[in-house]
Amino acid sequence: MRELILNIERVRRVNETHQHLILSADQALLNLKAGQSLLAHVEGSSAYLREQWFPISISKSEVVVERPADRLYMPATTVHVLSMIGQPFRYRRTLRSVLLIAYNTSPTPLLLSIPALLANQVGVTLVLLGSAASYKTEHIAPEIEVIIGDADFNWANRVTTVGWADQIFITVDPADELASFRKLWALFNQLRNEIPKAYLFGVFQPILPCGVGACGACMIRTKSGTTFACTQGPAFDLAEMHLT
Amino acid sequence: MSVTVTRSNKSSLTIDTPVMPAAGVFGYGDEYRDLIQLEKLGALVTNPVTVSAWSPSSGTRVVPLESGVLVHTGLPNPGLNKVINTYRSMWSRMPIPVVLHLVITNAEEAKRGAARIEEEDSITAVELGIADDLEASEAAKQVAAFVEASEKALIVRLPFGVSADFAEAVIDAGAGAVVLYAPPRGTARDAGGRLVSGRVYSPIVKPLVLRSVGQIVRRVNAPVIGAGGIHSAADARDYLDAGAVAVQVDSLTWINPKMLEIIARDLGGLVITQPLGALPDEWNPGMGETERRRRISDAPTKEDP
Repeated sequence: MRELILNIERVRRVNETHQHLILSADQALLNLKAGQSLLAHVEGSSAYLREQWFPISISKSEVVVERPADRLYMPATTVHVLSMIGQPFRYRRTLRSVLLIAYNTSPTPLLLSIPALLANQVGVTLVLLGSAASYKTEHIAPEIEVIIGDADFNWANRVTTVGWADQIFITVDPADELASFRKLWALFNQLRNEIPKAYLFGVFQPILPCGVGACGACMIRTKSGTTFACTQGPAFDLAEMHLT
Repeated sequence: MSVTVTRSNKSSLTIDTPVMPAAGVFGYGDEYRDLIQLEKLGALVTNPVTVSAWSPSSGTRVVPLESGVLVHTGLPNPGLNKVINTYRSMWSRMPIPVVLHLVITNAEEAKRGAARIEEEDSITAVELGIADDLEASEAAKQVAAFVEASEKALIVRLPFGVSADFAEAVIDAGAGAVVLYAPPRGTARDAGGRLVSGRVYSPIVKPLVLRSVGQIVRRVNAPVIGAGGIHSAADARDYLDAGAVAVQVDSLTWINPKMLEIIARDLGGLVITQPLGALPDEWNPGMGETERRRRISDAPTKEDP
């Protein structure tokens, strides 16, 4: 964990709902993996807590972060970030196909995984459900199959896409996280006879006051006890979770 | 610069720097190891620990406010025994005293907790967290029950807004110092429109607590530790000016961890302050802003005889 000072170099509006912040690069961020995030405080911002930022691409020259378009960010602004928050997504070694699902929220936390998966010849399908259907995907790599579904978890070729997937990562509206994961868990129990371990992951995004496991605000219940979404998350095997 | 922050009863707590994190913001010790130099702090105050395990609260835990945050965690912890067994070895290696924050709900728990803590050398002192809706007499009973069973230096964190009479009651019962105050409780709507109750952390808390510190310090015969809304070294210094012997920093630790260390360095005299144009004998390395201000205020003026 380090505190870094970055600059917002450019702000690029990518669609009606989202903008990309192009940040100055820092060597320390090159090791950041899909699933890990930054806790950012923008100088001059009135927000009291740090915002959780999920990068969507990282290179030696820049870090790109996706943020909602209704927040105002100005180029040349200094940002204080705590990095890196959380653990990388745990992929299986023999991975051929991954299903990414966003339900009632943007798929932003899932996007950093795409370049690495494609580079490893892994097929990626992105399913946008509920209000996530309004998320514009023009900026996403054309190799990704994007499927739009409804708020009742119906989408085209649902049985096939689930059947092909070796692993599934789901992000939901943080305001109703546990209830949404419960519904999805019930759905996948219908779609598959048995849900194996390390197959169905929920990406938890509670508000993180500290990001280091000190405040206890992001503690979640697993079948073996409790754990912190900030230090051990954001992705948790739903088969291991208490979703009540 | 050493400060004794509790009365010297059976044992007392002396710290090098009058700045420590508040209970509930700093974890159990090593969570901030990469961001803060622990040895610059006066003491480590642990997250709240209960005698038996408590689960995290269900529902929304954090509601961002206009200028602050409302937090309701349910004080999740694995219970006193497990916490001690897990962290004992780390606490023994700590460069600063460890103050365990023990949450109690009745006198029996206070006695049991005290007996368990008494066996532990790695814990230097205890900060007792008592329920918000307690009468002074009941709080005093709980404090007395703890003191009867333990020789450890005892600090009691008082519920927000209690009177000097309340503070006097717990001090008479054996508290070596009091912390003013636990964060106030509030209610706010979360993003889903539900009402959530919890503790409020905000800079606005500071003027409210500062007033009470000024009033209560004059009434009680034990050290007072100021806590609430500290967001700068100047805020912390205000508490010392009001009569507090030390301060506890809360949510600032989350939003800017380094500031906790900076405040500790400043109030601990570790910041080298050389005023612009000062002559060599007007400053010295190790003289922090606090010390410099004290010297200026102590310096004889023209009106002095």
